[in-house]
Amino acid sequence: MAAWVKGGATDADAAVQAAAALLSSAHAPVFAGLNAEVAAIRAAYDLAGRIGASVDTAGGDATYADLGALARVGAMQAPPAEVVGRADAVLLVGVAPGRSPLVERLRATKPVRGRAAGAERRILSLPAGSDLAVAIAHLRAHARGHLTSDAGMMETARALSSALYGAVLYDPGELGTLGIEMLQGLVMDLNEATRCFALSLSDGGQDRAALQVAAWTTGQATRVGFGRRVPEQDPWRFDADRQAEAGEADAALWLASLPTARPAWLKTLPTVALVGSDAAPDLAEVVIRVGEPGREVGGVLWNEGRAGLSYRAPEQAGDLPAAADIIARIAAAVAGRGAVANRKDA
Amino acid sequence: MPLLTLREAPPERLDFLAVNPLALSGLSQGDAERLVVGTTRRGLVLGDCFTVKLDGSDTLTIAGGHARLDRVGASLTEGAIRVEGDVGQRLGAGMTGGTLTVTGNAGPFAGSGATGGTIRIEGDAGDHAGGAVHAAKVGLDGATLVIRGSAGDCLGDSMRRGLIVVERAGAFAGARMIAGTIAAGTVGDHPGYGMRRGTLVVGGHGALMPTFVETGALDLVYLRLLAKSLRPLSARHADLLSGAPKRYSGDLATIGKGELWVAA
Repeated sequence: MAAWVKGGATDADAAVQAAAALLSSAHAPVFAGLNAEVAAIRAAYDLAGRIGASVDTAGGDATYADLGALARVGAMQAPPAEVVGRADAVLLVGVAPGRSPLVERLRATKPVRGRAAGAERRILSLPAGSDLAVAIAHLRAHARGHLTSDAGMMETARALSSALYGAVLYDPGELGTLGIEMLQGLVMDLNEATRCFALSLSDGGQDRAALQVAAWTTGQATRVGFGRRVPEQDPWRFDADRQAEAGEADAALWLASLPTARPAWLKTLPTVALVGSDAAPDLAEVVIRVGEPGREVGGVLWNEGRAGLSYRAPEQAGDLPAAADIIARIAAAVAGRGAVANRKDA
Repeated sequence: MPLLTLREAPPERLDFLAVNPLALSGLSQGDAERLVVGTTRRGLVLGDCFTVKLDGSDTLTIAGGHARLDRVGASLTEGAIRVEGDVGQRLGAGMTGGTLTVTGNAGPFAGSGATGGTIRIEGDAGDHAGGAVHAAKVGLDGATLVIRGSAGDCLGDSMRRGLIVVERAGAFAGARMIAGTIAAGTVGDHPGYGMRRGTLVVGGHGALMPTFVETGALDLVYLRLLAKSLRPLSARHADLLSGAPKRYSGDLATIGKGELWVAA
């Protein structure tokens, strides 16, 4: 097993002990990334609960943009397989959906199920313009019949309202929570007369897997803190980047067994990094190479097409440890140091 | 007058939900110093960060604020709290009565869900002042929020009742408003995004939503009544309504019963 402490190669036990020492001595540790298989995410929440850490995910801003709208107005969502099978009109909102492989599939196929089976599929787009959220509001005003001044918006609104099964694709990080709430309002307006669904395209990370784990573990969404023992959700307070920038976090555990864009604070904050194939000695204070799920180790991952969790077997057998095992060993070492019981309020 | 004096910058965010004049009036000196205010595994108590002087009166002074003091005056029902310095997020969140005064700046979500009382911020407020926190249905809900400096983006987001008076606000002021009144010297781009009802009165503004339509320059009796109610808080804001301000109606993406008044 490859592991490094302060840039120097070491063995597994030494790295685990160093990780436990780093996390035990912290007052306000942050667990971030969580771009990993379900077992590792579960282990991370478990350890966070034991040592009073807060948790955030790599795609936290986009996830909470969706959740913010969902919590207020609800959502009419369809999974990708349904959209491919049934939609006769698809609206791409902004730039990001155009880059999704799903759009190629939608262009290459026709609806085969439901009311629109056999019909031609129309792909429409709503250009980003100056502000995407404003463009969505403009379209919704035309769809409601409150405005008729913009010919392009009128045409798009007519295409959606005359479709048998419409779908609106968006990237939550690009659109933002105000725009998503407006988009869900548009979809709900259209459902007064026909069928239409929204489809939030993820960035390919495991945020949605983390969301399931967080919900069944804490009863909350992903950004929770255990500093006061009970899980508290606060998307502003437990934003890992904000905590690192404000100097509130004094240690971190970066969990990314899948390739993930790294935050700048990895090298400035004392960090234990559990990373997959892109591990490097100088990535953080303690670096432990773990197996990449679905390639080097087996693991349950978010299945984008089916919008559910499914097991992915490893492509090749190897001796790399799973991230969940490493976190369990760190947890045991932390317990051995008495850090769990050593709280002032224990 | 009970007095809390900050000894040094707190090492973590502190939660002041349980620190208000009414709660302190029933506590002994020792019990007040042992009030848990920490939010991490340190388990900080009030006496760790503040010197505490109690006298049972209903006006609490916090001498030496800090941007890490969260929920100052949250759920306040009566009495007054004066902070000489800055505060963190959720100032006066959910308060139902009493008075809060902050001489410095406030973090995000000031006055969120506050149904009564008055909040005065002498400096600047962060984003979502008078706005809804995550998953909340409403922002400011009946209280009065006065910001002498600037407010960030999404001022009064999802506000349902009450009054906000602000010198300058960022983008998306009055977004998703359900009802209530915002008076601002200037606002940034896209004021009133997704608003259903409610009133925005502004001296100047950034880019307007294409979903707001001008309905004329009007001199209505109602505006004089509104100006009269604004004058005790800010004569400058009351003057925005003199003459015949221009009225825009929106947001037409929703039911469009909101209005934006732009000073003549």
